[in-house]
Amino acid sequence: MNNIVDGKIVTVPEIATIEEIKDEIQDVKTFYLKFDNPEVEKNFKIKSGQFVMLTVFGAGESAISLPPSPENDRFHLSVRRVGKVTDALHALQVGDKVGIRGPFGNGFPFEEIKGKNIIYVAGGIGLIPLRSSIVHALQHRNEFGRIIVLLGARTPKDLMYQYNIEEWLKIPGFECYVTVDQPTDGWTGHTGFVNSLIDKANIPVENTVAFVCGPPVMFNSVINDLMKRGLKDDCIISTLERHMKCGIGKCQHCAIGRTLVCTDGPVYTYKQIKTLGEEI
Amino acid sequence: MYLIEKENVMKIAEELAKNYELFGPVVDKGTGQVFFDRVNDSSEISLSAEIPAIPPKHVVFPQIERIMKYKYDRSAKKAEIEAILDNRSKAIFGIRPCDLTGLIVLDRFFLGQEFVDEIYREHRKRMFIVSQNCIAPFKQCFCVCTDSGPFADEGYDLNLTLLGDYYLVEAGSDKGKELVQRLGLKSADPSYAEMKKKANDKSISLFESIATDNKAWISRVMNRITTGFIKEDVWEYIGKQCFECGACTFVCPTCSCFNVEDHNRFDGTTDRLRTWDSCSFEGYTKMAGDHNPRHPVEDRRNKRFFCKLSYSQSKKYLRPGCVGCGRCQWVCPGDIGLPNVVTYIRREITE
Repeated sequence: MNNIVDGKIVTVPEIATIEEIKDEIQDVKTFYLKFDNPEVEKNFKIKSGQFVMLTVFGAGESAISLPPSPENDRFHLSVRRVGKVTDALHALQVGDKVGIRGPFGNGFPFEEIKGKNIIYVAGGIGLIPLRSSIVHALQHRNEFGRIIVLLGARTPKDLMYQYNIEEWLKIPGFECYVTVDQPTDGWTGHTGFVNSLIDKANIPVENTVAFVCGPPVMFNSVINDLMKRGLKDDCIISTLERHMKCGIGKCQHCAIGRTLVCTDGPVYTYKQIKTLGEEI
Repeated sequence: MYLIEKENVMKIAEELAKNYELFGPVVDKGTGQVFFDRVNDSSEISLSAEIPAIPPKHVVFPQIERIMKYKYDRSAKKAEIEAILDNRSKAIFGIRPCDLTGLIVLDRFFLGQEFVDEIYREHRKRMFIVSQNCIAPFKQCFCVCTDSGPFADEGYDLNLTLLGDYYLVEAGSDKGKELVQRLGLKSADPSYAEMKKKANDKSISLFESIATDNKAWISRVMNRITTGFIKEDVWEYIGKQCFECGACTFVCPTCSCFNVEDHNRFDGTTDRLRTWDSCSFEGYTKMAGDHNPRHPVEDRRNKRFFCKLSYSQSKKYLRPGCVGCGRCQWVCPGDIGLPNVVTYIRREITE
């Protein structure tokens, strides 16, 4: 049996060890992983926007998006505790083993958007799948125009990757605007929903692509506002989330109309999403 | 083309049983229902039985299947994973053309897309298929409308057609030819090709009395479903009839959605099970955190008929997803088997 096809672990999970665990925000932890098999570790290559199938032994398997950049970044997963498998994952400690299959999915377009301005709009942990692309774009800073991150969260405590953002702000030409819905004492920044940042950042429209990721309510209102500003629907890109069981286009759980999120997606333009005929 | 006497046809099954685990149509003595089951002796097989209640897809895609076993010793930080593949040699004897087409659809889906499903491939690798042409339709059949019968033309190793006192035996593969030679079957003279054609025509003509409503409408309905020209209230009507029991998907020869679950055992190991799933169940698309993008039941019903009858799905199967076996019509408590759905859509178009 060919378990690794085109660098993707297809059928049987490869064992990886948790090397480090970092507490992010409430209910979200980042797990730094290393494959036990050095051959697998060496050949495991990801693209921004892809995902892996993570096995937590004794609990099950889940689809988890990939936050690390494809280049010069440690393999890690940032996971919110939300169900059976992620609960069990959060109970693990450094040294524990997990299983990984993948990476699966099409990934963000990168060649096509060279030379353009990029706007990242993230709500809460929507920044996790976008992080990969942001880091990758910053590593190739001179190939793009403005790189803007608009980040919204419920409270200041819910802002993902604060330490990363501070680091990125040192890179010239990187812009980041942050807002919270419910400010707490001591919050001096912007207050309001993430779409209010669109005006504040004075976003470009010509030669621009927007990556949007967040909860469905935020997604719809942000897209409305971006379209009002004049952004075309094929310049708005998002990554969808679905219940998945196989990751290789066989179990059909992630089917929306004619497309399978695991193999055709999870990255779609808004133009494509509109025609799928299902909620986000 | 070869011939075997009607009373000797089970010799083929006996020969297969030497090297293969044999599956065939079996009549349950208590209920009279027909199942496609594993048999210990070829005498249990009834070739003349009506179409089995559940198609033989479970031979290649079992209802519950253990695909992996693992053990994780947390204190020693030691994980062992073992993939479990079904490496038995299996022979299917007496499969009907609709179910055979179902297998072909499953092959194209599991083996022919971006990724190959290794678990399915392992089931399929060493399989021997003997199909049986239908010289007369059963009451719920409509395979003539879906281009999957009543006679088979691909996918078999051996194909049987009952012509009077003889079965005409056609070999569809080298494996099949080899078996025919081993059995020393006599060649059939060319006139049998003409007799087979006549039997085919006669079988098709018998459909006219049972499949009138839906004949010729399937392709038109496919067009409508693909282009989205079906009114929302038709789907709503169909959805409201659905009991969400999942029976249509379980008896369908081409439905292959599955769920994957890990079950912990008392000995500390865990089994990873792959089980049949159904798009009509509410939890099918529900994600962790309870967000369910496909909530109303009509959305879910819509999905099944889209899967069976849209061009975009047919591109994966290289034919319509429905093979006209009529089982969904048979089992559906809500009267929305596929032929009825075609009828509802036909009414919407014409009235």
